[in-house]
Parts: sequence; C-alpha cells; structure tokens
Amino acid sequence: MRAVDWRRSKFTKLIVEPQTEVDIMDDEAIVTVEKELDRVVSKLEQLHEIASAEIGDVASLMSELVNVLGNAGQMLVTTLNTGTQMNAPGTGSTDDPMDDAVNMQVETEPAAPQRLTDSQMEIIREAISKCNVRVQKLSTEHRDSHGSVSKIGKAIDRNFSSDFSSTMRVDALQDKDNLMLLNKAIAKHYCRQGMDDVARILIKECKMSENDAQDVFDSEREFAEIYSIWIQIQKRELNEALKWAIRHSSQLLERHSLIEFRLHRMRFMQLVSYGLESQHEAILYARNHFQKFAVRYEHEIANLMASFIYLPGGLEKTPYKIFLAQEMWTELSFTFLKDACQLLGISKNSALSVVVNAGCTALPALLNIKQVMQSRQVLTMWNGCDELPIEIDLQPEFRFHSIFACPILRQQTTEDNPPKKLTCGHVISNDALHKLSNGHILKCPYCPVEQNAEEAVRIYF
Amino acid sequence: MSEIKALEHATLKVPYEILNKRFRSAQKIIDREVDQVMNVSRQVEKALDAEQPPILSDVAKLMGNVAQKLQVLKRKADESINDELSVTQICKRKLHHLKGIMPRCTGEMFPGTVDQWKRIRIDRLVIEHLLRMGYYQTAEELATRTEVRHLTNVEIFQTSREVEEDLANHSTTKCVLWCIDNKSKLRKINSTIEFSLRVQEFVELVRQNQRLEAVKHSRRYFPAYEKTQLNEICHVMALLAYPTDSEMEHCKKYMDPKRWEQLVLDFRHENYRLFQLSNTSVFSAAIQAGLSALKTPQCYSQTCRNLNCPVCQDDFHQIALKLPYSHCVQSRLICRVTGLPLNEHNQPMMLPNGQIYGRLALPKITKEDGTVTCPVTKVKFTKPKIDKVFIM
Repeated sequence: MRAVDWRRSKFTKLIVEPQTEVDIMDDEAIVTVEKELDRVVSKLEQLHEIASAEIGDVASLMSELVNVLGNAGQMLVTTLNTGTQMNAPGTGSTDDPMDDAVNMQVETEPAAPQRLTDSQMEIIREAISKCNVRVQKLSTEHRDSHGSVSKIGKAIDRNFSSDFSSTMRVDALQDKDNLMLLNKAIAKHYCRQGMDDVARILIKECKMSENDAQDVFDSEREFAEIYSIWIQIQKRELNEALKWAIRHSSQLLERHSLIEFRLHRMRFMQLVSYGLESQHEAILYARNHFQKFAVRYEHEIANLMASFIYLPGGLEKTPYKIFLAQEMWTELSFTFLKDACQLLGISKNSALSVVVNAGCTALPALLNIKQVMQSRQVLTMWNGCDELPIEIDLQPEFRFHSIFACPILRQQTTEDNPPKKLTCGHVISNDALHKLSNGHILKCPYCPVEQNAEEAVRIYF
Repeated sequence: MSEIKALEHATLKVPYEILNKRFRSAQKIIDREVDQVMNVSRQVEKALDAEQPPILSDVAKLMGNVAQKLQVLKRKADESINDELSVTQICKRKLHHLKGIMPRCTGEMFPGTVDQWKRIRIDRLVIEHLLRMGYYQTAEELATRTEVRHLTNVEIFQTSREVEEDLANHSTTKCVLWCIDNKSKLRKINSTIEFSLRVQEFVELVRQNQRLEAVKHSRRYFPAYEKTQLNEICHVMALLAYPTDSEMEHCKKYMDPKRWEQLVLDFRHENYRLFQLSNTSVFSAAIQAGLSALKTPQCYSQTCRNLNCPVCQDDFHQIALKLPYSHCVQSRLICRVTGLPLNEHNQPMMLPNGQIYGRLALPKITKEDGTVTCPVTKVKFTKPKIDKVFIM
C-alpha cells in the first residue's frame, strides 16, 4: 500500500480523522451558559427585592410624612408630637417603624398660612435625600447588571455555532420546488405518526398541489395503519392485527413471515388463559385458524394444544406462562412492525427522521472540518469535489448501500470506475488496475501473484 | 464538537435576545420613573431652600407627589423585573431540556431516553423551520400536539405572525410599530425595512390618487433617509408625475401588488437578523448534511435502489440531486440477501456472473439439487464455481 501512497486522493492527506465517537453528551457549553444565566437571575432577584422592599419602604415613609403634614395643617394644633416612620438611612426596612419617633412642632399663626419650622424642614430634607439615594441606587444597579446579561449572549455565541454556510456548497433548499418536496416529506413524517391534522394544516398553509397532497396521504396511509396496530398490540389488543395478518396472509406466507402464526398463537393463549369457561371457544379457534399452519408448525401446535391439560388450574404456574409475558407482547409488536413494513416495502423510520438524525451527526463533523480547512487555507478545495470532504461516521442502521472504496485510490467506485476482482481474489477499482498494470501484466498489490490484467472480472455488490 | 454545540445556537439565542430587549426596556422604564421621582423631589427641595420657610400645605402637596411617584416607580420596577425573570425562566427550561441528554451521575443512559430526546429534537427543528417559512398555523398545531411548545420559539414569534398577517392584508400599521419598538437594534444592523414601509405607504397614496397626501407623507418621512436612499427617493417621487396605470417599467415595479409579498419576506428576514440567527435554519442545514452523508452513487443507479434509503425515495432523491456524495475511504459491504455485513465472519463470495453475496446467504439461494439462483439477476447456475473474494 505504501508504494502507491502518492495515488491517494488529496483529501486523505489532510489527515482529518473522522469523528469516531458521536458525543451529543457534551455538557461544558451548557454549563457555561447556565452559570451566566444563574448569575443574572440572582442579580435580578436581588433587584426585585430592592424594588419592593427599599423603594416600598421609602414610599411609605413619604406617605406617612404627607399624612402628618396634612394632619398638622388641618388640626391647627399648637404642638403636635407625632411619631413618623424614619429609619436610619442605609439600613434595611426591618426595624420597627416607630423606633425613631420625631417631634414635629407645628406652630399656628391663625391669620397667615402655616409655615414649616426648621426641624420639620430638616426631617423632610433628610427623607428626600434618602429617597433620592435609593431610587438612584435602583437605577444604577439595574444598569450594572447589563454586563452580566450580555455575558450570557457572549457565552452562547462562543460555545454554540450559528453559521452553517461552511457546511454547504450549494443550498439545495433555496429552490421553491425542493422546498415543496421538503414540505411533502414533513407532512408524510407526521402522517406516519397519525398526526393527520398537522399534515393537513401544512398542506393548506403551503398551498401544496392536490396531487402531492393525495400522495402524502396515500403513501403513509399504510404505515399509519401499521403504526396504530403496533400501538394496539402493545396494549394487548389483537383484533386489528389479526385482521391485517389474515388480509395479507398469502404475501406473508411467501416471505416465510412468522407473524401470522405468532398472532394466532397469542390470541389462542389469551383465550386459554381465560380458563375453563372459554375452553370451547379456544378449541373452536384452534380448529378454525391453526389448520393452515398444520404442516409448518405441526410440533408447535401440538405443544399449544397440550395447554388444555392445565386449564382448570390456570396457566400461572405452568410452562405456558411465558407465552403471555410482557416481553412476548413487546417482541410480538416489534416483529409485527418489522414484517409489516418489509411486506409493504416501507421503512420503519420515516425518511425525514433518518435524514435529520444523519444530518445531526454529520453537522458537528462538518463544522469541525471548517476550522481545519480554514486554518490550512484549503477552503477552496472542497469546491472542486463532488464528495463531502470527510467521511461521516453513521450508525449501521443508516447504511443502506454497500460501498466499495478502492483500497488503492481510496475512492468510491462508480459506474465509470467499477470494482474488479483479480484472479487471486483481491478487489481493486478499474482505474487502479490500469495504473498498476504494465502492458498486460499486473502484479497484485496485496499478494505475489502476477497475472493478466484482462482476466480481472467486473463484480457487483 | 458535540451535537448540542453545533445545533442548539438558535434555541438559546432567541430567548437571550428577548431577555436583552426586556432588560433594555426595563432600564428605560426604571430610568424614566426615577427621573420623575427626582423631579418632584427636586421641587420639594427647592421649596425648602426658599428664603422664607415654605407653606405647610404646599409642601404637603409636593410631598404627596413624591409619595405617589415612588409608588408608581415601585410598581413599574416590579413589573419590568418580573418580565425579565420570566424570560430567564424560558432560557432555564431550554437549558434543562438540553441537559436531559447528558449522562446522569452514573454515566449510564437508556437508549430509549436518547431516542425520545432525538424525536423531540426533530419536532423542535421542524417547528423552527415552519416558523421560518411562515407556516405559523402548522407550527402552532404541531407544538400543541407534540407538547414541545415550551422548548420552541412559537410564542416568541407570535408578534411576527401578527405583523406578517397585517402586511399580507396590505397594512403597514403593525410593522411600523414593530420598527419603532426595535428602532435602535434595527439601526445597528443597518436595516432599511422602515424605509421600504414608508415607500409602500407613499405608493398606496398615489394608487388612491391622493397625491397631495402623498407629498405630505413624503415630506414627513423621507428626509430622514436622504443620506442613504436619495436615489430611491427620487425614483419614488417620480411616481407623482405618472398615471397609476402607466405602462412604464419603473412605475409598474412600484405599483405591483407583489411588493407586499416581498415586504413580508423582507420583514421575516430582518426579524431573523434581529435575533442574530443565520439565514439557513438548523433544519435545512441538517437535512442537507444528512442527505449528503447518506447519498451514494448507488442511490442514482436503477438496480441498486434500497427502499429504506431516504435518498432513494422520490422526494429526497430530487432534493439531493445537487448535493455532494458521502465520502468513503473504507469499504462497507452489506450482503443483499441477509442484510448482514460482509467480513471475515461472512465472507464475500462471487457467483459466475460477478454478483457478490455473503457466505451465509449461499444456503438460502441454493436449491437441494445444487442449482443456485442469483436473486438480483434471476439467472440460474447448476453447481457453479463460487469464488472467494478478498476485500482490503
């Protein structure tokens, strides 16, 4: 392999390791943001306290003073001893409001309007200045918390990425037709889960053509039915499932699917478990439904029928108990989902969910590569190539096709450059074969065999 | 980079921008009320500082004002700070949900929990996409049905929905209010949306042949934009000179009712810029990255289609047409009969026609008499020579 290193595609030279581990579980970013957020929350709560306690306190002090002044004016008493709420400036409002009683002297001058005495003026001045200090404190402290608020924003920007333009060469979803196709995929996705209303509203809102709309409901109707049956099986309800299985009986038989017999078996065991009173019914059921499985499941049917000997005592303490265990129901529901989807030629997961989940795995890897690419000033390199710059490590369930990558050229094979099997059994791509052969003679890069290059055979995976 | 870091920017940024906005308006309200208090208290001080001691009833009245203003300040500060706190709750809820995918202290995670979380993520991403596309009703319904409302921005975009509906009804009122509401931010991002609205109002006046009103309107609003938009102002003013049904290209451009639809789009765009969201939604980025990651040359060859592969299905097939293929330096081969990977435990075997199947599949396609039927080409071979193949 070393000998042909120079032939490797240019991207592998970047030595970008594909993400081997998909870590959705990285909490550092969240913790940072949360910390900043908590800081702001505690600050705001503190301010809230100030607003209600301190301002409220000074406000009631003012009204108290107003009352006293008002009383003084009305009553025209010579001397008024009154206590007014007056806390020492700067302390909290917890003290007894009457602890700082102040003598207010009001002198009467019957003819002229009443005027304030010096001591009254002093008290008012003090109250006013206290009020000024407090309200200004509220305003400045609130303003000071701006720093912490904007820190949240910075933490979000620093820890999360917002720009995806680097992950796409062309934006296929600018196109109106493609967007409509995407709407269709979304509608199908929700139709599948039985949320027809959501699909219907979307179809109306995006003004989907009637053909497309019909297609949405048609394509997913089958699955919606399967989905509802699946849920029913999990609820131990078999009627619909049996109806479905009988309807598709011949197709299921063709595929050697076990599901029809399994469903009947479950139904039968259910009847048996009801005890003696349903004995007759169970026997009838067996005669009606087991007949067509007689050849394939001869042994098992015999086994099932033997359960009648336990009927009087119930199945709880017998080997038949296992047939009705929770795991059997779950297993049955999943077997049904799998076989039914296979029979209808549809996938268990909606196309949309497969694509989005694959994309969620791919995006972090692609965003990572952006940093590498930019730092090496090779951003333009991607433009020349119709493949993603790195391999995305998807889970096996997202692999739908066999891919043969030529071990020499490190490229996927295509119709133009198909895989070829050498006489020694090793497989390389057609292009590599041509590059390695000298006239007709080809030495296998992996073993000592020399052979005629023309004897290599095109193979298909 | 983790998936959360890569995908959840908008989830957090939108409520943050709301918090920031609430903070500003709270500051404004508090400052205004503080000023009011200071004003009246200054009057009291002034009265006290007068040469003659002030009249008691006057002072009492002034003090009454102070007390009243203080009460107002207290109430307003209370309200606005509560407003801010309620937004922080939204952020908290979202952070909490994002943390739901973290391993607990035991470090273990049930696969069911992850699947459920991913299912919710799809719903969240779809809702965000629907909001961006302006399909508010669908977004609303979906948020209700899937019970993820508290994790989405549906509520926050309620205002934009109202503005858009208003614009769609050929009215600028709500959008103008929105512009005033976000004035400083819009200025910061150099938005011209308000100018476009004023132009549209002008055009509507001309359309109704209220040309004098139009002139007044232009006098009132256009001078503010003379530095940046002078050229367009001239063009717009030229409309005054022509009949409304003029065939001139330039007139038709402004008179076109389609301009309203453009305004809706412009507004939506500005709204996203306001929240510092990128032009592409996470959903569309994820869809495209996902399609690329799944796309193989086989998806486009008639014989190798796999019905379970999304890219092989009609809708996505079309969308993925221009997207790059996945990159693959290591072969991954799957037997087409058993669906099992081809490796040392299931060695790839070649039929005489070049088709490769796993060793484990051979019994399934071989009849008792030794005939082998190729499941793809349906060709029958009697006791064929089946070769081992070595994949590096």
